[in-house]
Amino acid sequence: MEETHREKYTEKEKVEVFNNEFLPHINSMYNFGYRLTLDEDDAKDLVQDTYLKAFRFIESFQRGTNAKAWLFRILKNSFINDYRKKSKEPSKVDYQEVESYYNSDDVDRQITTDLRIESLQDMIGDEISNALNSLDVDFRTVIILCDLEGFKYDEMAKILDIPIGTVRSRLHRARNLLKDKLSVYAKKMGYKNP
Amino acid sequence: MSRPNPFAKSPGKKVTCLEMLEAILDGDATEEQQEYFREHMDECIPCYKSHAIEMQIKQLIKSKCCGKHVPPDLVERIRNQVNSIS
Repeated sequence: MEETHREKYTEKEKVEVFNNEFLPHINSMYNFGYRLTLDEDDAKDLVQDTYLKAFRFIESFQRGTNAKAWLFRILKNSFINDYRKKSKEPSKVDYQEVESYYNSDDVDRQITTDLRIESLQDMIGDEISNALNSLDVDFRTVIILCDLEGFKYDEMAKILDIPIGTVRSRLHRARNLLKDKLSVYAKKMGYKNP
Repeated sequence: MSRPNPFAKSPGKKVTCLEMLEAILDGDATEEQQEYFREHMDECIPCYKSHAIEMQIKQLIKSKCCGKHVPPDLVERIRNQVNSIS
């Protein structure tokens, strides 16, 4: 954690903050935990650990500030420390390479996709969920944080402990990867309906 | 359209379509930038198409990727645990 902020709460205030500011986010937390672990039981444990830590470290939380971002940060760190080690998916991506490639001025970054909007409109099943889950965890994380939870760049940077520039490039790379996955699904669907 | 591009980091600096689209998608665009981009899409088919596709993807994500409901016993477990240490 960065600055060790210290609030003074009475026991009653701690419970109030916990119930009124922390618990309301539990749905988002569980969803995020599930997207990280891809396992319902692990997600439950992760969320429980996170809330426990949140209560233990409640004095680092300043009332009126963004509880959701604070909680997400704890959850992300818990995931990295406790769950990622035993995760079935080793990191396939060399981030240094991805990010320096993506930031290079030489890269001809064009708006191109062969994905058709009609294909997306036909995706009424699990295609998007599967496509998202198939991304490397760090890529699906930024998509969840931005597109689902509506966090801004600076909030994401704090949650993930990475520079804002990295948030941006990772997001854009993730969107392209997601489009590629959806394009593959669309083509498969196309073959089924000639 | 000769008015200055509000996405430009400094006056006269060139802004690519992709840069504008990314700011819009990431929720990082001001009202003015959003308005500018809306007008830009009238004249730029690649932007129009890409924006439509990306918004559709976002819609799919919002509707299909947050269906994980918290198991009812989890809230109870958490409350009990917190009560036991408070």
